[in-house]
Amino acid sequence: MFYPTAGQFKTSYQADHALFPVRQDAILLGVIAVLAFVVFPLTANEFTFRALLIPVLIYSLAALGLNILTGYAGQLSLGTGAFMGVGAYACYKLVSIFPEMNIVVAIALSGFFSAAIGVIFGLPSLRIKGFYLAIATLAAQFFLVWLFQKWGWLYNYNASGAIQVPNIDLFGITVAGPRATAVAQYYFVLCTVCVITLFAINITRGRIGRMWKAVRDMDIAAELVGINLMRAKLTAFFVSSYIVGIAGALFVFLWRGAAEANLFDIPLSFRVLFIAIIGGLGSVLGNYLGAILIVALPVIISTVPEAFGLPIGSATVEHLNVMIIGALIITFLIVEPHGLARFWAVIREKFILWPFPH
Amino acid sequence: MNPRPDPRQLATPGDGIAKGDVLLDVRNVSLAFGGVKAITDISLNVLKGEIRAIIGPNGAGKTSMLNVINGFYTPQQGTIVFRGKERRSMKPHQAVGQGIARTFQNVALFKGMSTLDNIMAGRSVLMKRNIGWQMLWHGPALREEIEHREKVEEIIDFLEIQHIRRTPVGKLPYGLQKRVELGRALAMEPTLLLLDEPMAGMNLEEKEDMSRFIIDVNQQRGTTIALIEHDMGVVMDLSDRVVVLDYGKKIADGTPDEVKGNQDVIDAYLGVPH
Repeated sequence: MFYPTAGQFKTSYQADHALFPVRQDAILLGVIAVLAFVVFPLTANEFTFRALLIPVLIYSLAALGLNILTGYAGQLSLGTGAFMGVGAYACYKLVSIFPEMNIVVAIALSGFFSAAIGVIFGLPSLRIKGFYLAIATLAAQFFLVWLFQKWGWLYNYNASGAIQVPNIDLFGITVAGPRATAVAQYYFVLCTVCVITLFAINITRGRIGRMWKAVRDMDIAAELVGINLMRAKLTAFFVSSYIVGIAGALFVFLWRGAAEANLFDIPLSFRVLFIAIIGGLGSVLGNYLGAILIVALPVIISTVPEAFGLPIGSATVEHLNVMIIGALIITFLIVEPHGLARFWAVIREKFILWPFPH
Repeated sequence: MNPRPDPRQLATPGDGIAKGDVLLDVRNVSLAFGGVKAITDISLNVLKGEIRAIIGPNGAGKTSMLNVINGFYTPQQGTIVFRGKERRSMKPHQAVGQGIARTFQNVALFKGMSTLDNIMAGRSVLMKRNIGWQMLWHGPALREEIEHREKVEEIIDFLEIQHIRRTPVGKLPYGLQKRVELGRALAMEPTLLLLDEPMAGMNLEEKEDMSRFIIDVNQQRGTTIALIEHDMGVVMDLSDRVVVLDYGKKIADGTPDEVKGNQDVIDAYLGVPH
């Protein structure tokens, strides 16, 4: 009743291949887009942007990158944090070597650096799979973070060893650096995330997406239907690391403003992996739901007692936070092991069938 | 969704080999895994347009033979001539490019994908648009997608699996999975189709359906078929010529009637005191 699909017929394959075969999905996305592009910027304050909206978007993007590799192509990776670092350091070097370069171009190019590194560390996937591949990507994680610390050229031989984002303008508006306003940064991140999500959806629903899924589901059969395993796996590493690299560049330039090597250490990789798994592997939507749960919920929970004027110490809030989030994650995984995206799919199915459940 | 396709449109395009000529020639092939000899000095040929059966008791080397033909194993000795081209070793995905498709003894579908996606995946090699077009989706990539979707729908109609188009194949019963797998192989538009026990584990009705599909594929599409099967009734009715393997050696080769009367074959199947 909420989701009446009766009467929506497809008369061509083109209509059947549309992004939203069901009209209500398009309406729902339209509502979310209005919220994201109009309502949030008008109502949100500095804190909401910096602690909630921008990080959720950036983490979603990183999880989307990882999901393409792990969820679609079935190659487990524990090196996401380091690949984000490659994107961030590449963008930093590009901006410091070519100060006149447009920030959009710099970020788009920095993705190619992490993509190249991703392909190199993806080479072992041609011989090994599963947990063994995860160990190989773990090696990438440790090696790259070590490199970020030891190779001074990467951070322009700063005494601090950290990279500092300079003020960068785009069409007369400062989007990065200390002078940038949160609204401008939010819009920049939002637009980037929207464009890349659209590209990712298009790739995953077409020929290449099917090849990745075929490799994930049964690699021997995939080879025997004519899929070049090497090319399919390396394309997955390339696209995945590209998106992860972009997320890394946004992470530092549009959100943190500064970064040290250990920011990209293994906790970041695990965080992104949690988002992808809890959101749902093999789904684009899941990354957003996962990021909202893992990134936004702690912030919301910690501000609730304050809003009600409850006198709870900040340390207690922190403890409560960890407990509540941990319990929620376990509950969600028990109720729906295929992640939040499947959870939503089940709810949507119920809405479509309601009020006739059979 | 489509009217029943016209068989003439489905026929594989000519490749210079007339019906009845040798399409595949396996010459003196031997394959061993360490000390285990899977195939010993076997020669056999497959003629264009025929249904060729490979039979034999368990462990006779039938599946190994198919694996050699489509490049999954590289034989230690002997050569394989397909469509006039000789080769010794190749990657399986290159065999597909040459026009060899196959199904498996244990169903090897992509379990997380729908029937439609599985069959579409079979057309991966025939689709050419690169990742740049795929990213944009609208335009050439979409046109290509729809073009191939139409071919896939012809196959779905042909195999009468319209009702399971959107079902993840992992949830399908075994008989239907076998049918989807045949569909995926057909989607590659093969010249030579290798079927590894297409009727294993099926009931009588399903076997009849599958036999009908095999004959239709052979006659309407002009696809040459080499199949392994244990059901002797099916083999003798379907195939034009039969080759019998036992312990990795060829013991008989000929029409079903010739093979049926061959004493070595009778011994291999019934067993003789050694």
